[in-house]
Amino acid sequence: MRRDGLTVRGLTVADRAGTSIVDRLSLRIAPGEVLALTGPSGAGKTTVLRAVLGALPAGLTRVSGQIEWHGAPVRAPRRWRRRTVGFLGQDPASALHPLLDARAAVREALPRAARGAGAEERALAEVGLDPAEIGRRRPHQLSGGQAQRVALARALAANPELLVLDEPTSALDPAALLLALEQVRRRRGDSRSVTLIVSHDLAVVRELADHVVRLGPDGRDDGVPQAPILSPGGKPAPGGRAVPGGRAVPGGRVVLDAHGLTIAQPPGGAPLLSDVDLTISAGESVAVLGASGSGKSTLLRVLAGLHPAERGRATVAGQALPWPVTERSPAALRALALVGQNPLDVLNPARTVGAALARPLRTLRGLPRRAARAHVRHLLAIVGLPEELAHRYPATLSGGQRQRVALARALAGDPAVLLADEITAALDTRTAAQVLDLIDTLRHETGLAVLAVTHDPAVAARAGRVLRIEGGRLRPHPCSHHRRPSLDVL
Amino acid sequence: MKRMNGSVEPIPQVRAGHRSRAALILGAVSGSMLLVALGGAAVAGRDPVAIVAPPWSGPGPGLPLGADALGRDVLARVLAGGRDLTLTAIAAALTASALGVAGGLWAGWSRGRLGRAAASAADLLLALPLLLLALLAVVTLPGPAAVVAGTVLGGTPLTLRVVADATATARRAGYVEAALSRGERGGAVLLREVLPAHAGLVGADLGQRLVLAVQLAAALNVLGFGPAPPAPDWAAMLRENLQGLGLNAAATIAPAAALAVLAGSVAALSHSLWDGRS
Repeated sequence: MRRDGLTVRGLTVADRAGTSIVDRLSLRIAPGEVLALTGPSGAGKTTVLRAVLGALPAGLTRVSGQIEWHGAPVRAPRRWRRRTVGFLGQDPASALHPLLDARAAVREALPRAARGAGAEERALAEVGLDPAEIGRRRPHQLSGGQAQRVALARALAANPELLVLDEPTSALDPAALLLALEQVRRRRGDSRSVTLIVSHDLAVVRELADHVVRLGPDGRDDGVPQAPILSPGGKPAPGGRAVPGGRAVPGGRVVLDAHGLTIAQPPGGAPLLSDVDLTISAGESVAVLGASGSGKSTLLRVLAGLHPAERGRATVAGQALPWPVTERSPAALRALALVGQNPLDVLNPARTVGAALARPLRTLRGLPRRAARAHVRHLLAIVGLPEELAHRYPATLSGGQRQRVALARALAGDPAVLLADEITAALDTRTAAQVLDLIDTLRHETGLAVLAVTHDPAVAARAGRVLRIEGGRLRPHPCSHHRRPSLDVL
Repeated sequence: MKRMNGSVEPIPQVRAGHRSRAALILGAVSGSMLLVALGGAAVAGRDPVAIVAPPWSGPGPGLPLGADALGRDVLARVLAGGRDLTLTAIAAALTASALGVAGGLWAGWSRGRLGRAAASAADLLLALPLLLLALLAVVTLPGPAAVVAGTVLGGTPLTLRVVADATATARRAGYVEAALSRGERGGAVLLREVLPAHAGLVGADLGQRLVLAVQLAAALNVLGFGPAPPAPDWAAMLRENLQGLGLNAAATIAPAAALAVLAGSVAALSHSLWDGRS
């Protein structure tokens, strides 16, 4: 058998309507080489991966083209995948089987002969997890970042000949990404390993890859309509781009004030975060960084009333903020709005965009049905979406559009503080920048304060103040200015 | 290298269209079958209990499906014999499904000790043989009530488990957390957010319960717990006419086919609904 690595010849993938998603793509990756696929979201990067792996989703078919491994067409893709491929998907944490603990998940990925004798523990240790502590935990007992690492350990455990990483820069937190990229670097030039990376982060792939293939025409928009970003007053924001600065308004009105907040996970257990003091002024933007599992998201969930606090008290916009959401006054409910991180379930699949936006207008602002419907158009305009979208269901929207709708829904109650939980984690760089620009504009135009939990230093770089969770405490971060994660990592 | 249809990903729409066509066809088949079952008596044209020919005469002019054990028109009896059975099955399926959905929403949402106890009780119920429970019900209750009781005992626990799992997952979904954090009450979130998001699941599950109810009603009627003898009934016709299979096969095959098409089309419809949501 010749050892030519992976060859893709004239790959064309079409959907049921016959539209080509991928058109006559040819690639070749020799052993020891790294190839990166880039392109804006929706350009078909993941579709190429799935076609290469012989696992296209229902509705997509390989119309023509051939996938060859070491010179021979891949005939039994399932067996080939099991023997040669290590795969890390876009949402690695949710790819773990809920009933398998971390050790069993890694064990499953190992060839039968290599199982046991501590191989699973070594694989876990290699991604920086303590096998004694993590090995027996199932996915629901792992934090998001820990689950990512288990998935990474699974992909790397068998030292696969073909390693496929789908969007590692957005799927992994920076520390796990560093581990993954280190592995890729080690594989490079070993005249055996073939590596295929999909990423929209050009900075990462340029340094690391022998070849870069860009999908989608250059300068093409990634599907987000270019409606001008409107301020709530209706006039376009200056340029619709990032507004520099972002410092706390000196002497600004305090909108969120929390003292001695202690949080435990699970409730009543050992404290995850102790004695948090947090004060946010109107128009201010505060980013919270921290290792995975440190309690960043839980902090936001406590403020949003979704998770009980152990101790502490808070006020929002001058109103007392009781911890259980059921005891909050209407004004306190209006003052805080939460936007989640997963664009897949951020909107109810059974509700149109218009219905999703009209509901909070009616419950929080008490608008009658007709007025709410009219105001939906205004909300869509604020987040730069066309008003026709009001009649669409979430399934027909792109990830960026969904995240904008979620933002519009959060703005419906005219909140004083926006609680943003990794809202750009699942978006490509450009769409993420648009969403962040939008939030900056809102901060300056309406005095909205933002508390953003993130692992993306790009988000933190825009914040006026950066806090970090370390050892169960919330502390000011020494250095507020970061470069892109890719540059930090490399 | 790739074309985009504006801002919309084309795949979901195409898939939805494909699914809805299948669902439409199956819906039409099961809908017309239900219509025949419920309204057949009106178009039968002949009294289903009148004796019109020698026993087990074969198909002939005026008697397209021949005559049964007592010489009654098989076609008239088939057209008239599905109504009570189908109505009973529908009532039983609706009851079982409604109880299961309500219990499942509550058990999946509350996550308390009581919810877990309800789920365990449902599991325990599933471990008992369903026919035994149904027979127990039929000796203590009148026929239709026994079918309802049997379907509830055998079907509600399944619905409850499925809906409880879906609800527990939905609890962590972004849209549910957004609703909770803007102060919506649990009940409103369940009815306005969780239930609509799982409408396909609930519809598909209702279809499965209907199939179970039809089977249960047919089984109990074959065993003689159905309507009293002269009244036409598909399941009772199977028992009455089985001995005459060699003389007039249509007298047995016609009611059997009616039962099979009813259950089969409902099952397939439910399957396509479920496919549409997963």
